[in-house]
Amino acid sequence: MLKHRTRQTLLLWCFLAPSLAIFLLYRVMPVVWNFVLSFQYWSPLKPAEFAGFDHYEDLWYDDVFWQALWNTLLVIASAPIGIALALGLALLVNAEIRCRDVYRTIIFLSYPLMTVAVAIIWRWMFDERVGLINYVARSLHLVDKPIPFLNSFTWALPSVIAANIWQMLGFYMIILLTGLQSIPHELHEAAAIDGASSWRRLRSITLPLLRPSIFLAFVVGMLNSITSFDLVYVMTGGGPGRATEILVTYIYKLGFVQTKFDEAAAVTIVFFVLLIVTAWAANRLAGGNAGAAEIE
Amino acid sequence: MKRWLLNRFVLVPGAIALVALLWNIYVATHDHGHITGRVVDLAGKPVADASVVLWVYNFTTYQEHSHVKTDDAGVFRFMNNPSHRIQLSAEKPGVGRSERIPVFLYFRAEDFDLATPLKLAPSG
Amino acid sequence: MNRYPRWPIHLALIMASFVMLVPFYWVAKTSVSGENIYAYPPSIIPTRVQPFFYVDVWYAIPFARYFLNSLAVSVIAVIANVIFNAMAGYALTHGFRGKNVVLMLFLSCMMVPFQATIIPAYLITGKLGLLDSWLGLALPQCSTIICIFIFKASFDAVPRSLIDAARIDGLPEWRIIWHIMMPLSTAAIATNVILAFIWSWNNFLWPLIMTRSADMQTLPLGLARFLSYQEDTTGALYAFCIMVLAPGLLLFLLAQKEFIRGLTSGATKG
Repeated sequence: MLKHRTRQTLLLWCFLAPSLAIFLLYRVMPVVWNFVLSFQYWSPLKPAEFAGFDHYEDLWYDDVFWQALWNTLLVIASAPIGIALALGLALLVNAEIRCRDVYRTIIFLSYPLMTVAVAIIWRWMFDERVGLINYVARSLHLVDKPIPFLNSFTWALPSVIAANIWQMLGFYMIILLTGLQSIPHELHEAAAIDGASSWRRLRSITLPLLRPSIFLAFVVGMLNSITSFDLVYVMTGGGPGRATEILVTYIYKLGFVQTKFDEAAAVTIVFFVLLIVTAWAANRLAGGNAGAAEIE
Repeated sequence: MKRWLLNRFVLVPGAIALVALLWNIYVATHDHGHITGRVVDLAGKPVADASVVLWVYNFTTYQEHSHVKTDDAGVFRFMNNPSHRIQLSAEKPGVGRSERIPVFLYFRAEDFDLATPLKLAPSG
Repeated sequence: MNRYPRWPIHLALIMASFVMLVPFYWVAKTSVSGENIYAYPPSIIPTRVQPFFYVDVWYAIPFARYFLNSLAVSVIAVIANVIFNAMAGYALTHGFRGKNVVLMLFLSCMMVPFQATIIPAYLITGKLGLLDSWLGLALPQCSTIICIFIFKASFDAVPRSLIDAARIDGLPEWRIIWHIMMPLSTAAIATNVILAFIWSWNNFLWPLIMTRSADMQTLPLGLARFLSYQEDTTGALYAFCIMVLAPGLLLFLLAQKEFIRGLTSGATKG
């Protein structure tokens, strides 16, 4: 009996082994390696020397790093805008209308696309001379002269954020729609019988019950926008000056263009800490244990 | 078996593969690089012994590739066009020269017959 | 339920759909007509429609080679994903010592985005000697945690009576998985295939840092390189965009339900 148990446990571990190996190799070990590397002087040609906090001190005095950090924070702060828009869309699509599947498909269409292609499309739509955005703005007489969206220090980051929201809108909507559809009908009916208006029902029933979905959408949105390397790299390459540089593009440039692997590791650790802190803060804001993906 | 075959994940890639196969067969049988056409003068009469030049697209510009002379009926024939983007021009001293007509092909070395003939207009 | 007019909802949704679809139409229009690269004001209906930009793209870059690379890497990633994730999901349906540790490990790995691991991942792949190869390109994507949990949920739903009957009949473990549980989990397999394929197909950063030779580049890389060669001076760039978007769109339209189900399985009980 015992031998069969241990044999079965061994078999289960063998089943887990490939996935575990990949995660250990490509998720756990890199974090540890980054951490160690950020405290060393290292290049592929010389052996490692201990560096203490030197790299972090260099970052403290590095203007580009602070600009990248600020831009990344702005990008995180823009996720709620997308979620709010998607919530409106989800409420509309959830109503009892015909063809709602068609609307859902059309709005979700932008998510499975290659981000590089999306970046090229939006890069052209924001173009100063022939872009569609400028054309519409000028036709509606909102502006007189065309705005150089991707070349101006004030408009570059909002343009990238707008393209990101366009791509993610469908994804947020699907998450919120799933949450909406799991709210039992009887709650709404009972409240309607009791005389609550639609607006009141929205505030008191729908939104609180939707909190786990909103939290999930925010975490996913934050993860996606904080790592939107493809979009920034192809649309602006870091922006006029460093106006659209985010932490991820800075890591790439430090590590693979300037081959300063150790400094890039330090920036990566800061990036990772920012990620954890933001997720934890969102969890606290959502009232703790936001209930997403419960595992038995 | 039939239900498995009618599954959309089999039908759609299968249809795409079939179309790709048919297209490749078409390309393989039509890629000899023959370009034919006619040269006429302003009145519409065929011009014999005009020299026709084939220009081939090369990254950003067109380069001369080969020359050929039209026969008595004003028909010219190139045998070894390698490219998918070419231009043709014809001239005959004394009669005139034609504009450079661009020709876009669907694949490299497609056999192509120029529909409208090259018109020689007196230069100057 | 109160009656309310439907048409404002339709109007709002039509406007939203319009905003989502206009970029597609614009790119498709330019890829067949080459207008609006230099001209202003832009024209809404394309004039002079011609498909020859697609021919240009096919010959200007080694499109077939890039396509083959992307396809090979995606196929490797998909097959590895299905096998590894099903195995791990099956193992997680049983209780064993250390199961909670493994679960915690998986959940915490979900919070580590790929971009935080690029430097060590590059160095590790270099040490393994897999730089510039299909296997190296596919390896980090050969298992995803969301899909492990999808398989786990699907296997949990198989009635115990079936498994017990099979055990009594003396079937070994792997035969139980192959003959009983997998056929009942075709939805999970389909979701896994779609998600793994799309993520691998669209991956840009990993091929960017990994490939050394122009031969091994994948489609997203080729597209970005095309942009930097030609800028946006011809309709060929947009034809390239359409050629690159088409497989992803086609796959999405074929397998919408599986795709959406896979993405939202985190919104309901995992």
